[in-house]
Amino acid sequence: MAYATPADAPAARSSLTRWRQAFAAQSIVLGLAVAFLLVIVAYPLLWLVLAALGIPGSLTLEHLARVATRARNFDSLVNTLQLACGTGLLSIALGVPLAWATARSDMPLRGVVHALVALSYITPPYLTALAYIILMGPDAGHFNRLLRWLLGLHTAPFNIFSMGGVIFVIGIHVFAFTYFLTYTALQSVDASLEESAQVLGAGRWTVIRRINLPLVAPAITGGALLAAVDSLALFGPQAILGTPAQIVFLPTRIYATIGGYPPRWGEAAALSLVLVVLTVIGLAIQRSYLERRSYITVGGRGVRTQRTKLGGWRWALLAFCGTVVFFSAIAPIGVLVTTAFSKNWIDPPTLANLTLAHFNAALFNDQIATRGILNSFKLATAAALIAVSLGAAIAYLDVRTELRGRRLLDYLAILPLGLPGTVMAVGILLAFIRPPFSIYGTIWILLVAYVARFIPLATRSANATFRQIDASLEEAARITGARWLTAVRRILVPLSRPGLLVAFLLVFIPAFGELSATILLYTGGTETIAVAIYRLNDLGQLEVVSALAVFTIGVILVLSLLVSALSGPGAVAAHAPVR
Amino acid sequence: MAFIEIRQLVKSFGSFRALKDINLDIAEKEFITFLGPSGCGKTTMLRMLAGFIVPDQGTIRVNGHELSSSAGMIPPEQRRMGMVFQNYAVWPHMTVFENVAFGLEIAKVDRGQVGERVARVLAAVGLAGLEQRHPGQLSGGQQQRVALARSLVVEPSILLLDEPLSNLDAKLRERMRVELKALQRRMGLTFIYVTHDQAEAMALSDRIVVFNQGAVQQIGAPREIYERPANLFVADFMGLVNLLPAVLLDYADGIGRVRIGAYELRATVGRETVAGSGHVTLVIRPEAIRLIDGMEGENRLAGTVTDATFLGNIVDYQIDTGSGMLRVQGDRRAVLEPGARVALAIAVAECIVMRDTG
Repeated sequence: MAYATPADAPAARSSLTRWRQAFAAQSIVLGLAVAFLLVIVAYPLLWLVLAALGIPGSLTLEHLARVATRARNFDSLVNTLQLACGTGLLSIALGVPLAWATARSDMPLRGVVHALVALSYITPPYLTALAYIILMGPDAGHFNRLLRWLLGLHTAPFNIFSMGGVIFVIGIHVFAFTYFLTYTALQSVDASLEESAQVLGAGRWTVIRRINLPLVAPAITGGALLAAVDSLALFGPQAILGTPAQIVFLPTRIYATIGGYPPRWGEAAALSLVLVVLTVIGLAIQRSYLERRSYITVGGRGVRTQRTKLGGWRWALLAFCGTVVFFSAIAPIGVLVTTAFSKNWIDPPTLANLTLAHFNAALFNDQIATRGILNSFKLATAAALIAVSLGAAIAYLDVRTELRGRRLLDYLAILPLGLPGTVMAVGILLAFIRPPFSIYGTIWILLVAYVARFIPLATRSANATFRQIDASLEEAARITGARWLTAVRRILVPLSRPGLLVAFLLVFIPAFGELSATILLYTGGTETIAVAIYRLNDLGQLEVVSALAVFTIGVILVLSLLVSALSGPGAVAAHAPVR
Repeated sequence: MAFIEIRQLVKSFGSFRALKDINLDIAEKEFITFLGPSGCGKTTMLRMLAGFIVPDQGTIRVNGHELSSSAGMIPPEQRRMGMVFQNYAVWPHMTVFENVAFGLEIAKVDRGQVGERVARVLAAVGLAGLEQRHPGQLSGGQQQRVALARSLVVEPSILLLDEPLSNLDAKLRERMRVELKALQRRMGLTFIYVTHDQAEAMALSDRIVVFNQGAVQQIGAPREIYERPANLFVADFMGLVNLLPAVLLDYADGIGRVRIGAYELRATVGRETVAGSGHVTLVIRPEAIRLIDGMEGENRLAGTVTDATFLGNIVDYQIDTGSGMLRVQGDRRAVLEPGARVALAIAVAECIVMRDTG
């Protein structure tokens, strides 16, 4: 067999050139991705800092000072901290017992409880807030009427429009963080660790107290911190339940500062920076805590776990777990469904009260609602496509090449995960309201916001997908004669298709119902489904709102089930919940 | 001019120096093996030959044409080489036929010819009849054969093999060894084979290149490397060995006198070992030490058996000579119990003197 490669010198030289071109192609992809990320992520953050310092205009610390000196600002900071502490503690009280029950006990209906926690996690918390207006509104709320009738009370026992109400509604959403982290940790405690203690004479409670709890303590603390940080950013319930009672939190205060006339940009930016600082501190502690104190190798194979036999106590535990998931998932979603089908939500759900009119209104007649649905579908699809393309390019550079700068790119693409939607919206507003990228007032600014917010989900997902596909598969194609692009097209793309579809859905789902950034960035004509729900609620049309809510939850639920089917059980933790 | 010429090749990954000044000539149709522990640079060298890694310095030439240099390289797809990966890298979304036909399809070979050539190569590796199977339905050994067929069908002149047998069980590994060797002879290809298994390297290779810490330790035929290791690392890596601290007393005509404790032995001294005297290491393979009855043989020692392990084909002894422990292999038909007094003899040619700094 004669050696047939580059027969003569010129051919060899042209091959060398071609190699340089391939290298250049990778550099161009890297360059474009960096430029794009800089514009949609770094540029808005830069504006946030500049605006807080009074630019454009004169350099001043006045705005930052106002955070502490203006009473309403300071109140909102105090309220926000209260909220975070409250939800963090609530998430431990609810999440830890539930996690132990489903992971390590022989309680019946464990699978159902687990699924319902996942359901409360994927339900947008602003919809839960709306549901609780119907359930615990001070005058006509179902629970209030029920208890007044049962106990013969003269005043309503619950008022959801209160600090307690906001903590409760947000708590029954974010406790899922503590639940999932604790659940995973408990599942990876090998039975031999417990048995070793039992052999030495330790009883059941001693084992839980001395072995299980210390082992999963980092997961519990980490989960609670994550829950607390997350609750800072939940504009929806804060606005829907807090604002009517004049309880202001940082995101709603920022919203009011920009919504007033004239908009006080500097102050909004300064408040946003405070919110960022709180978030960063919380996440940094959470991260170092989980990393430094994690004794458990998560996802370790061959772990054998043992369920504690509770005897009669398992019914008591089931009663507790049932109560939690009743309030976090069954009651709010149930009441949204019954309201959506009722002529009048106050009346009991009888056949005479049944109607489809609200769905008709929400899906076909109401101008804002129909436009919102259409916009949400368009925006979520476009955002997911762009985020997956960009995320796949970034992930490829990170996983498959050794180009310098790829780590920085990766970091930039993960950064928005820790930023509250309100903060991103303020930055994007400041950056894109003026040249050279003046797109405020168009639907493009929403697209930019969604891509910027959710690019981390696509990048992470694509990264995990590419890591599972061994590089040797592409290399085998190269050495068999395929060019780089051919190897990517024929080997990498077909093999990563399921993973990239998951990445698409992981962006689509939160983008579809996004509220906290949208509410600051939409204008007439660019309303989304979340904006329609928010505005119709202001108008008091609870039935139409419920119909829209049921539709939204339906879409999210179906797509989330698709994600689980594609990527296996436990995938729900990869979701970014809708907010 | 050699078929493959590797000159002054250097490669670092960050601060890790993967290859330090590699020079190597490989002849056409040679079966050459890169042998060494993990992290020694053997796989980096192979991947550089394939065109997956750019050298920091140095060149690789094949048949006089420069393929790699620090200035750039011919991409893998233009090198007309084949490669078999450790994990087989058989494409899971394609059938056996599609896997093997891929290279021909890329090369735009005539459709009629593709079927014929795929059938021929599948028959050659013993996979005829499995064309429509997916890799998930194949055993490890069968996937290995698909990987081989896929590289061979495009008729490369050089086949690179990266630990291709390490994921197979012991029996199958032995059989594939024989088949690989036969295939290489039959097709007249240059095989460049990477492994960390010295037995595999010796069974297969025309020549072995021993790597350690990014540098070539020795190049030579299997027997040469086993019997005349260039340094302590090679001696130790190529199989069981007794390493005894010794003092070199004097030296003449390639034979030296060394002292180990109470004993004085005669041993072979390599040229590079001569410079200076004093502390050296005496290298003796366990199977070179004979258990004797009387006074026959040279370099006689006496000792006590401290441990005897029956291994089936041989008995592995630990023998205390009073001047150091020796590992010795004995006949399974005459097992000595611990405590037994024994006499030992070692041929001068089997005692090799080495310096500690390899």
